[in-house]
Amino acid sequence: MKHFRKTLVAALSVATLLAQPLLVSAQELPRNVRLVIGSKSTGGDTYQNSAIVAEALAEKLGINIKVDAVGATAAFKALARDKRGTTLMIFHDQSYLGLLYGQKGYDNPFDTYKIGPTVAINPGNAYLVPKSSPYQSMDDILAAAESGERVRVAIQPGGVSEIGFSAMKNAARLRKAGSEDNIVAVNTGSQSDKNQAMWDGLADVINGSIQGNEQFTQLPEDDHKAMRFVWITARAATLEQAPEAGMGNTTRDDMLQYSSPKVSVAFDDSNDFTFDKEFFFLYNKEMDDAIVKQIDTALTEVFADGAIQERQKAAFFIPNFLPSDAARAHLVEKSDTYRDVISQITAQ
Amino acid sequence: MEFFDLISPLFVALVFAGTVVGIVFGAVPGMTATMAVAVCLPLTYSLGLANGLALLLGLYVGGISGGLVPAILLGIPGTPSSITTTLDGHPMSQRGEGETALRIGIIASLVGGLISLLILYLFAPTLADFAIRFSYVEKFLIILFALTVMAALSSNLLIGIFSGFLGIFISLIGTYDVSNGGNGEYRLIPPGTEYWLDSGFSLLPVLIGLFGLAAILEEAEVGVPEGQKADDIKHDQQRKFSLSIFKGQLTNLTRSSCIGTFVGILPGVGGSAASILAYSNAKTFSRHPERFGKGEPAGVMASESGNNGLTGGALVPLLSLGIPGDSTTALLIGAFTLQGIQVGPLFIGNNPSVWNAMIFAMLLANIFMFVVMYFAIRQVARIVTVPKQILFPVILMMCVIGAYTINYGIMFDVWTLLLFGLFGWLAIKLRLEIAPFIIGFILGPSAEVYFVKSLESFGDLSIFFTKSWIAVLLWVLIVASVTGSVLLSRRHARDNGAD
Repeated sequence: MKHFRKTLVAALSVATLLAQPLLVSAQELPRNVRLVIGSKSTGGDTYQNSAIVAEALAEKLGINIKVDAVGATAAFKALARDKRGTTLMIFHDQSYLGLLYGQKGYDNPFDTYKIGPTVAINPGNAYLVPKSSPYQSMDDILAAAESGERVRVAIQPGGVSEIGFSAMKNAARLRKAGSEDNIVAVNTGSQSDKNQAMWDGLADVINGSIQGNEQFTQLPEDDHKAMRFVWITARAATLEQAPEAGMGNTTRDDMLQYSSPKVSVAFDDSNDFTFDKEFFFLYNKEMDDAIVKQIDTALTEVFADGAIQERQKAAFFIPNFLPSDAARAHLVEKSDTYRDVISQITAQ
Repeated sequence: MEFFDLISPLFVALVFAGTVVGIVFGAVPGMTATMAVAVCLPLTYSLGLANGLALLLGLYVGGISGGLVPAILLGIPGTPSSITTTLDGHPMSQRGEGETALRIGIIASLVGGLISLLILYLFAPTLADFAIRFSYVEKFLIILFALTVMAALSSNLLIGIFSGFLGIFISLIGTYDVSNGGNGEYRLIPPGTEYWLDSGFSLLPVLIGLFGLAAILEEAEVGVPEGQKADDIKHDQQRKFSLSIFKGQLTNLTRSSCIGTFVGILPGVGGSAASILAYSNAKTFSRHPERFGKGEPAGVMASESGNNGLTGGALVPLLSLGIPGDSTTALLIGAFTLQGIQVGPLFIGNNPSVWNAMIFAMLLANIFMFVVMYFAIRQVARIVTVPKQILFPVILMMCVIGAYTINYGIMFDVWTLLLFGLFGWLAIKLRLEIAPFIIGFILGPSAEVYFVKSLESFGDLSIFFTKSWIAVLLWVLIVASVTGSVLLSRRHARDNGAD
């Protein structure tokens, strides 16, 4: 019996010792963290931005963070499985736009997950026409729709790519009720599909990005592949924070010529529609608040240092750090705004 | 920065290291070139663009080439693009010519890689302009052409075609993905399984389940004869390899390399289609099509020169349009993005040094691949002498690890591996044909997307015949391929009847 008691005490002591790191790690990020992202591409802005943030955060906390480009559905599943903080997620406005557009695999992120800090904006969301197009501007496009001409817009349905299209329809409706029916979607997939739709003559306007399409805008007009920007959806205030040199041969001033207020896509009678694609963290709903605070504090210090902003700007991102609570309030408000746009269009 | 400033001993060492690691990834069933590049992508941050690309291009070439080792020796395609290598390479290995098959595959890989590299270097922008003339319609017809290989690979035409269509059907389970232009709706998913099947079955677990696990189950059913020694297992180390085996194959090698390159330049068609099309053509134009699938060296040459031809081809749209040609080059674009470099129609003109460094890295990678693999053959080929009771558990473990890691740790992929392993074992008993099934499974999703998009875009079925001269040419090839398969099947049936 004495021997049994000794063994029991020893076992309990060992168990307590072994459990100690676990108890500690329950309140802070573990040594190895997996950062899943809502995109399967390592060539896109989500991966690029996440890699920059992950590296800075890992260095600050002295931990390892690996970015896995698993795609939205798999990322949400991975996040839902792990409340220890081993799995974190970075995604953008698609998180709630997917739900607003009724996409499968999207729940309300504000109810299902904890919203972490925002980290950056990609101001590059844009719409383009062929360089040889009769449409020189968004005004031409909306006027064409008003006069009964059918304008085909290549988008990937159900998210960031579609929100600008919804706004175009809304602006057409405000201009002349019923003319929004002349703005029709051409559902495509990747950026290459959208470009191809333009080159095949299947789309008059395509959704694209400054980063992905800028070089095509530099081609001569007689090149079949040449394109022209007609609208950059970012707010002017956001674009003004971009490097003056802009991207490629398109300067910041050039970009401002394609965004509100120079290009007007009306949201209502007095405001233009704008859209900034924002990246933010998402956490498991039950993840310890201490970890949320740890990440907030670490990122506050990282952004206070200033080095990350330089890297983000060099990669054509606009730094946009907001701690978790402020980020949540901001994103809820943003989501409500776009819910209105979408509901006005779908109500037609 | 000048070209010679970018080339350093570190650059060469990274190409070499990348090639070796890539070969290992390609050779392990369930691990691919794409996975190798994905794992090493973050390293390019600290290496800089030229050195980072040196590593990644080495991984790419090595990863594509390494797939031939398990395809030939174990009958398990190391990568999806080496499926057709399995069809003739493994029968060669079974009759004691594994080493010869490996040498053929490696030489063909080198030829394919170098031809595609030459085409890339000389014609990249021109080919990119040509590639964008292929709309949904032409891409669908290319996939349809590749699907005709289902008939060519069938020992029984009807059962083969049925197996192929079953593969297409199963490949369509899941969400019609919006990122492919779909509507985001579920289809063919049994109620209650949406959580697991929303993305359908992943290709690689299905592939290694059907080829790897099914074979192991079949062998396990037979059992290992007591007292079997390593020396009893066929091994052709005594036979001397002669290059004369390539006599009369120049056309096959060149055609297959060009097909691989051509498929590579078409974004979205997929790497597996390259070797399938090259193999299908080699069989159609062969004087002895009946030998294909039974250990015909020309089949290994076509498949391997085709899939390595892809490496240069897939870089054409990447570097000329900023559009990746296959899944691995989709990862390569990340290296540019991480360094803040735009890839698009102006890339080559704006970055001649980086462009030349990439070509040089590809050239080195092909040479290193050849040297490393060719001189390691004798040791590698000895894998077939490892007793099965030791070899099979190791293969099984590698298959499970590969399946688990392919989508960054999804347990359902392991269940997929086991499910399709069991299905493959039963299919053999039911006389279903595995090769057409897997080809249907690989090409099915692309066929669906391009078919639906063609109709959405152009309205009716007549567009498949009237869209362009390219479409007409593709129809000619499709009809020739189907006719050839039917005639061959009839001759086969007649010969069997005569026996």
